Amino acid sequence: MNKHCAAAAIAASLMFGTAFAGPTPAPADAYAYIGYPNNGQVLPAGKPFRVWFGLRNMGVAPHGVNYPNTGHHHLLIDTDLPPFDQGIPSDRQHLHFGAGETETTLELPPGTHTLQLLMGDYNHVPHNPPVYSKKITIYVK
Amino acid sequence: MLRRTILGALAWFAVLVPSRSFSAHRTPSPPNAEAYIIWPPDGAVLTGGKLWVRMGLRNMGVCPKGIDMPNVGHHHLLIDTDLPPFDQEIPSDRQHLHYGAGETDARIELPPGKHTLQLLLGDFNHVPHDPPIYSKKITITMR
Repeated sequence: MNKHCAAAAIAASLMFGTAFAGPTPAPADAYAYIGYPNNGQVLPAGKPFRVWFGLRNMGVAPHGVNYPNTGHHHLLIDTDLPPFDQGIPSDRQHLHFGAGETETTLELPPGTHTLQLLMGDYNHVPHNPPVYSKKITIYVK
Repeated sequence: MLRRTILGALAWFAVLVPSRSFSAHRTPSPPNAEAYIIWPPDGAVLTGGKLWVRMGLRNMGVCPKGIDMPNVGHHHLLIDTDLPPFDQEIPSDRQHLHYGAGETDARIELPPGKHTLQLLLGDFNHVPHDPPIYSKKITITMR
């Protein structure tokens, strides 16, 4: 009975792992956050602002570098989290920081915008479990 | 006489060569690269002993130790100490903390009193870049 439960649990975790997350494990306590701007912040239009990528209990490595407990930052702009079991798209709403950058400068048109960080592994696929920040809202006026 | 000349030449080599050969091995840093401490701010007064230090880097990337790639390095946090020599490995001790796994946030604990913090970037071999990338040294007070 116990054996069956264990086997089922392993099978479920394997299925969960392959279906909903990438193959690279992340530390359970890894934590990504946007250090700046703050949630709800109003920023002046026409003026580039800096975005700080925060990461705790995990390290940064450029894309292509397969090193345990590392990944590189992706900044999602005005979009939801992409599927976790495939490469993060690379477009104007999904900025890749594959050279190991830990900050960037952005300029956004006037309006309400959302920002969110999502870590990708050496292959740009989210980790298991995925490591992403809270989605913040900023106002460009 | 000849021997003395050779010895003299060797002595000059001993003086001249080390810095040159080391600098030849040092990893170049990109222009405009800048390390800085995002948090805590210079002059901060903190309580509780423990803090997260946010390590900032501009125009350059973070990469774990041991990986030789252009325009990357890993952070070293210097606590209550001056910058070490730039032509050799950064020491690894309680005043020189290495973040060789690519960490960008450091959890540290400090006893009450005044302390200085400074960042120094190391290459894949823990040697500072050429030119070296280091932050301003900040002073904080732990209550």
